[in-house]
Amino acid sequence: MATANLATAPAEEPSLRRSVTPWGSFSWGYSDVGADIFVGLGLVLGAAAGASNVAFLFAGIVYVCIGLAYTELAAAYPVAGGGQYFVFRGLGDIFGFIAGWAVLLDFTIDIVLFAWSCIDYLSKLVPVLSFVDHPWVHFIVVFIVIAGLAILNIIGVRESSAFNEFVSGLDVVSETTILFFGFLFAFQPHLLVHTMSVSWPTPFNLMNGVSLAIISFVGLESISQAAQETQRPASVIPRTSISLILTILIFALAYSNLALGMQPWRAIPPDAHGHAQALWHYLGNENNNGAAVAVLASYVPYFGVLAALYVPLLGAILLLISSNSGVFGSSRIAYAMSGTNLLPSIFQRVHKKFRTPAISIMTFCGFAIIELIFASLPSLSPPVKHVYARLFRGEDGITFLGDLYAFGAAASYSFVFIALIALRLNDSQSPRRFKMPFNVPFTYRGNRVEFPVVAVIGFFGIVSILAFTMITHEIGRVAGPLWILCGIGGYLIYRRHKALPVFGSQTHDWRKAQINILQEAGELEMMDEYLLNVRRMDVAAAAAAAAVAGKGPAR
Amino acid sequence: MRGEAYARVRLVTGAVFAVLGGTIVVRTLLDSGLSLRALPAFALGAAMILLAVFRFRDYLTARRTRS
Repeated sequence: MATANLATAPAEEPSLRRSVTPWGSFSWGYSDVGADIFVGLGLVLGAAAGASNVAFLFAGIVYVCIGLAYTELAAAYPVAGGGQYFVFRGLGDIFGFIAGWAVLLDFTIDIVLFAWSCIDYLSKLVPVLSFVDHPWVHFIVVFIVIAGLAILNIIGVRESSAFNEFVSGLDVVSETTILFFGFLFAFQPHLLVHTMSVSWPTPFNLMNGVSLAIISFVGLESISQAAQETQRPASVIPRTSISLILTILIFALAYSNLALGMQPWRAIPPDAHGHAQALWHYLGNENNNGAAVAVLASYVPYFGVLAALYVPLLGAILLLISSNSGVFGSSRIAYAMSGTNLLPSIFQRVHKKFRTPAISIMTFCGFAIIELIFASLPSLSPPVKHVYARLFRGEDGITFLGDLYAFGAAASYSFVFIALIALRLNDSQSPRRFKMPFNVPFTYRGNRVEFPVVAVIGFFGIVSILAFTMITHEIGRVAGPLWILCGIGGYLIYRRHKALPVFGSQTHDWRKAQINILQEAGELEMMDEYLLNVRRMDVAAAAAAAAVAGKGPAR
Repeated sequence: MRGEAYARVRLVTGAVFAVLGGTIVVRTLLDSGLSLRALPAFALGAAMILLAVFRFRDYLTARRTRS
């Protein structure tokens, strides 16, 4: 990726090279979000059974709303902080911290979940890596992957932009080919309707499926990260983002429909009791749910023979890139939060030799390893498995990680919608080259503003997914809020210690900040428009104040 | 890949999605009729066609920018 190295940031004043092209911007987002379906498909099939496509459709509609919100905000405020920055700017310090802390939870889960799934995909080629048959080997290899990524990030080695673009391109072509062969030669709409009718889940399982489906759409932070490094982001980001959003939505809907309605090219192996099983059931079981896309691809007519050989490897590479983006993203967000006094300054410290934020990287990779241990324990130790079975309904490791991933994403996205509404009302002078559709114009504090109806729909959608996560996931309901509460506790202590407003916000010169942002982005027309809007607003405010002063004595 | 060449590649992939989306919608309609259970399949077909429309629009914009 062409992302700037954080190491150089403090030494040479942070200014990221804007060299990301439209394709680079798309592939950046795709390598983050596109990998999610490789993890999400098996989990959702295991939970929502015959309604998996409905679960993806519901989560997909919410995701489109979130994607549109991120596109609008990233085009208006092209800075790398993403959701954390938007909430910080729209709702103030403490909410900015909570959103950032939830994003950090997601990044740490991202590290371990994708490393875990990367090994699951490789196990389809190298069976000794199978989590079910060799849990200790799986655990040790995932541990080594995380430690290796941490070391590489501390040394400052990152995958190149060209490699990222190549893998993303190969994956888009590959997934499209799989879908083409699957839908043209094996998809039976009547089988889809039949599967949905006979395998419709209970409402509890459907809610569980929806909450897991949202993990197939996590990673929109990459839109704003790309915005900071894209030339003319206000015009490029909306184009690439909408294409990215639709592509990801299509893949998620297509795979789930195919899994439910495809007549497999080969016979499906019987289950543990020797009974015949449907394709979706086979994909969602414990042996295959970590590598469902690769298994599905191998059952596609004609192309499946070839796909069985390389899709596991392609999936593993994409997942490794995604895991690495978790290591990089967490250190970058922590660095940004530290710079605005939301986290202690230790997270801004860089390694003397490598000039990378080594402490941030080690801290969040440390959290990832704790999560890995917690997720692996039931398989590594039978007594612990009994404890988990009693306390957490026997959730397996990957589901536990999925729970927390869904919680973190739903929590941070909820705040982003509120921040978008707040920024529409309070920062109407910032030009927006892209706006979410369906807006209601009205006057707010003397300014003409537009109220975003889609943001309200998206907010209720994501809050319902958050509620589903809390209702259906025994571990997520405890561990997710605990992470947030511990973070808030630490934040309050830190702010009190630094004599900063604990619940309030520091004084920020957002006007100056916005001018700098637009200037650095090369969006000079937008900067002029912003200055004009600000001047108009000041003149109108002065006129209103004069009118009030003029009326004052007359009363 | 920049400008019009990139838009042209996307136009071709958009056309592929349009064909696939159209096939899914028509086959589902013929096979299952306007069933509520078939809604996710219709949504998938519609999303594919929509993507093709966006890509076609982008291609026109890129051509207009060049000329």
